[in-house]
Amino acid sequence: MVKKFIEKELREEHEEIEYEDTNVRELLTLMKDNSELISDLAYAAIAFDSKDLAEEVSHLESEMDKMMYQIRLKCMLSSRTIEDAEQLSGLLQVASSAEKISDAAEDMVELLDMDVELRPLLPHILRDAEEKIHTLKVYKDSSLVGRSIADLGIETQTGIKIIAVRYKDRWIYGPSGETKIHGGDLLIIRGVEEGYRELKKVAHAEESWGQVIS
Amino acid sequence: MREIEKDLTAMKDTSELMLDLAYSALLYHNTDLAREVVELEEKTDELYDSILNRTLEKAVKDEGSKRGLVYMKMADSIERIADAALDIADVVLRDIELHPVLKKSLKESDAVILRKKVSPRSKLAGTTLGESKLASETGMWVIAVKSKDGWIYGPDENTNIKAGDIIFTRGPEESERTLDKWVSH
Repeated sequence: MVKKFIEKELREEHEEIEYEDTNVRELLTLMKDNSELISDLAYAAIAFDSKDLAEEVSHLESEMDKMMYQIRLKCMLSSRTIEDAEQLSGLLQVASSAEKISDAAEDMVELLDMDVELRPLLPHILRDAEEKIHTLKVYKDSSLVGRSIADLGIETQTGIKIIAVRYKDRWIYGPSGETKIHGGDLLIIRGVEEGYRELKKVAHAEESWGQVIS
Repeated sequence: MREIEKDLTAMKDTSELMLDLAYSALLYHNTDLAREVVELEEKTDELYDSILNRTLEKAVKDEGSKRGLVYMKMADSIERIADAALDIADVVLRDIELHPVLKKSLKESDAVILRKKVSPRSKLAGTTLGESKLASETGMWVIAVKSKDGWIYGPDENTNIKAGDIIFTRGPEESERTLDKWVSH
């Protein structure tokens, strides 16, 4: 039964690939984006000693394994000639480096399972990094509240990327543009100091978003 | 101890620059950028060795200190990220025609890489990256600059941008139009 299902899946994928390789492209983009998110989350997990973030790293890592398997299958199925095989092996090498990054990130967060006496692990590790990782609390009267990340254009206006949002007791990892900012949210962000200082003023309701972006 | 953490931070920054450069090399099929990744990998190797040596010295001095394990594991993970960047650069250096899907896929990523020429009328011309605040105002982070005098990889806030320079940047797709304005006037 299972075998039949897999054969059917493979056949379908095979047919799809004969006409278009959209899926490989989408998978590769997703793997690259995930590898960037996963390493940011791993560093943040270490810096802020967060088991929640570490768990998400492990979850993303297993997703990456599945994607790697998928992309490998698809590439093998679409190879016809030696030229195909050469080009596809390059493509697979890029995919597998994204997977390698996620493995490294998962290994990194295993540190959180270590002895209590070693805590905190590396609270200062990112203090001097070029793009630092910070947490930022959004005050209820901030002008960010009620608007979406894309609507505000946070990254384009400040150079700050939001890696994760904690809304009430729930985490949103790698939030999309539609994600709304709420009063009381905790943001984990990454970017240049200048942008962090600007965003902090708005999040803490010292200045309005309009003032900062003008 | 601070020295070890400094080395770890340097490794992290270098590994991230390597990834940016490797993806840029891939997107623009640029072997200069790919070769720089190879050079930087040697730098991360040196940092890795230095962390290991310091950690071992410390372990011998303070008998039974387990702190060193944290540093070693961390260094090992970052080293593997740097290796992954090297693998990407290797695809460019192998001199095989790149699969067209690779470029398409990179262009659809959340963080796009762009290559722009700085016009003489650009507000970037004649300023440093710190003065122009390009990163905090547009979300675009400069990965490398190619000028008449050669390449600058991983420029910092003191890097001067001149008219005619070609900049490679990383940032959100929506920033491309703003960047276009910045490099043209």
